[in-house]
Amino acid sequence: MNLVQQLINGIVLGHAYALVAIGWTVLLGVARLVNFGHGQIYMLAAFVTWWAAMPLGLPYPVAILVAVGAGILIGLVMQAAMLRLTITQDLVSIMIVTLGFGHLMRGVAGLVFGGNPQVLETPLSYVDFEVAGAWVTAQDIAVIIACILFFLLLHFGLERGSLGRTARMVAEDPKLAQLAGINIKRVYFAVFAFEGAAVALAAALVAPRTPILTSIGFEEVIITFVVVVLGGIGSVAGSYVAGIGLGIFTALFGGFVSPAYATTAAFAVLMVVLVLRPGGLSLGAGKAVR
Amino acid sequence: MRQPVRMLLAALVTAAVFLLPGMTGGLHGAFAVIAIMAVAAYGLDIVVSDLGEVSLAHTVFFAAGAYATALLSTRLGVGSWTTLAAALAAGAAIALVLGLVTLRLREFVFSLVTYAATVVAAAVAHNWQFLGGSDGVTAIPTLDLSVGPVQLAAGNDAELWPYAFVLLLLTLYAVRQFRRSRLGAMAMMVHLNPRLATMSGIDVRRVRLGVFVLSSLFSAAAGWLYAYQRAYVGPDLFETYFLVLMLTAVVLVGRRRLLAPLIGTALIIGQERFLSFGGEVNAIILGGALVVALALLPGGLDGTLRRLLSRPAARAPASGGEPVPQP
Repeated sequence: MNLVQQLINGIVLGHAYALVAIGWTVLLGVARLVNFGHGQIYMLAAFVTWWAAMPLGLPYPVAILVAVGAGILIGLVMQAAMLRLTITQDLVSIMIVTLGFGHLMRGVAGLVFGGNPQVLETPLSYVDFEVAGAWVTAQDIAVIIACILFFLLLHFGLERGSLGRTARMVAEDPKLAQLAGINIKRVYFAVFAFEGAAVALAAALVAPRTPILTSIGFEEVIITFVVVVLGGIGSVAGSYVAGIGLGIFTALFGGFVSPAYATTAAFAVLMVVLVLRPGGLSLGAGKAVR
Repeated sequence: MRQPVRMLLAALVTAAVFLLPGMTGGLHGAFAVIAIMAVAAYGLDIVVSDLGEVSLAHTVFFAAGAYATALLSTRLGVGSWTTLAAALAAGAAIALVLGLVTLRLREFVFSLVTYAATVVAAAVAHNWQFLGGSDGVTAIPTLDLSVGPVQLAAGNDAELWPYAFVLLLLTLYAVRQFRRSRLGAMAMMVHLNPRLATMSGIDVRRVRLGVFVLSSLFSAAAGWLYAYQRAYVGPDLFETYFLVLMLTAVVLVGRRRLLAPLIGTALIIGQERFLSFGGEVNAIILGGALVVALALLPGGLDGTLRRLLSRPAARAPASGGEPVPQP
């Protein structure tokens, strides 16, 4: 385990983290919503990708599309169930409801896909490259490229474009937005569909790196929290940087200290940030610190 | 109803509930688990209903109580009174640390950090050999609270049920007294109008920390008895099952009603024990119940029932179903 290998692992991992977290970043930053079922959507989308690619035998890119479609569907169903809570901006209840959805999705996954761990083998994971004496697979490269493309798209589409402006207006003042002629329900549905699609895409690309079980998803949620908080709530560029930073930190910690406690260490980072800069959390959401 | 009549009625109902598992043919195990999980849920209840924050770390306090009991009773062979003290101390210590860290956090950031604490505690429990790792701690001795010549031991579920019942009664009494106490009143004020609370000279942070640590004691005590009931403690205590169970129990029936978490727990565990459709479907039912209770039935079952009953009179929504105010 040399340093270069760990650094490269960290960069790959960091892009994976940023990709997994992006749905939450947008959800929170643009619409001021939360989703504690994020990790379970990841899990379910990973299973859907596996199911489409292995038992059904669809080509991997088609399997990714199937997973993204499933993610959109889950997002829409979740939003439909809690539309009343969303419109009244009852964040606390939304949080609990999404947690309930997470538990429900675990049950569904167990029922549909069974309790056995599955391994998703993609054509890309068989292709290896040697970079500076370290090995990476084409799957890793695909994660990095997809992540960068996705972030560029978001940066220009959301922070510059009119779509992002509309969504932010809804988040800022739903009633005013409604008066301005914006269909706020449609915006909320769109944002949640995006969250589902983004997690599903991340799962389809990242999940081939690890075995797929119904119990996965928790680690992804913690990583997402840390990325979103470290990056400044709702900041697209910030969460990219935070993702990479956290990926390198986790890889180095895992490689040189203890792989089992890597998530714990990430959480410790979050704790330190919270104790040192609790005010920093209120930047985007505004309600975090009174 | 006059006071003595109410007292008599309450005593009768209590006695009936106590005798129920025996009359229904030895369902002591299920009843004991309902009582234990209800006690754990009451810890969460005073944070959610009175303080107005959603803690997702109460499974950690529950597990801390269970682990403290398991480790001390198997490795050092100490008695049940000592493990009770250790369980309470372990729960309170973790709550104090977590409470101090999250002192200035509100709403979803508070929940997010407490949730992260649960996930991390699970990772630690899985990996730390001192805590038994993934295998957990097995062969926990049975409950023995004997003092001097008084024999107070429970070798099986039927013998354990009275202790679970007493713990539940103590918890109900404590929660009722808490809601009438100065701390309880201050918690409600901090919940509903933090600015007014501050202006009235209430130290908001101290109240939050106090209620948080107090609430951990209930969940830790439940963990203590659960360790004896199950004779096994493992990292599965951190599963979302327990978290969702407690949350659903708290919100299903209605907020700030003394018996609501108990009825909620009884409904959930009753379904799992007597009307089970297998683990996966049960998870769907439990998760679905949580979603339905909050998204479709504001105010829980109690609030919905009241609204249905009072519909002809077109009254305002029942008081139990007030939405959590957004600052």
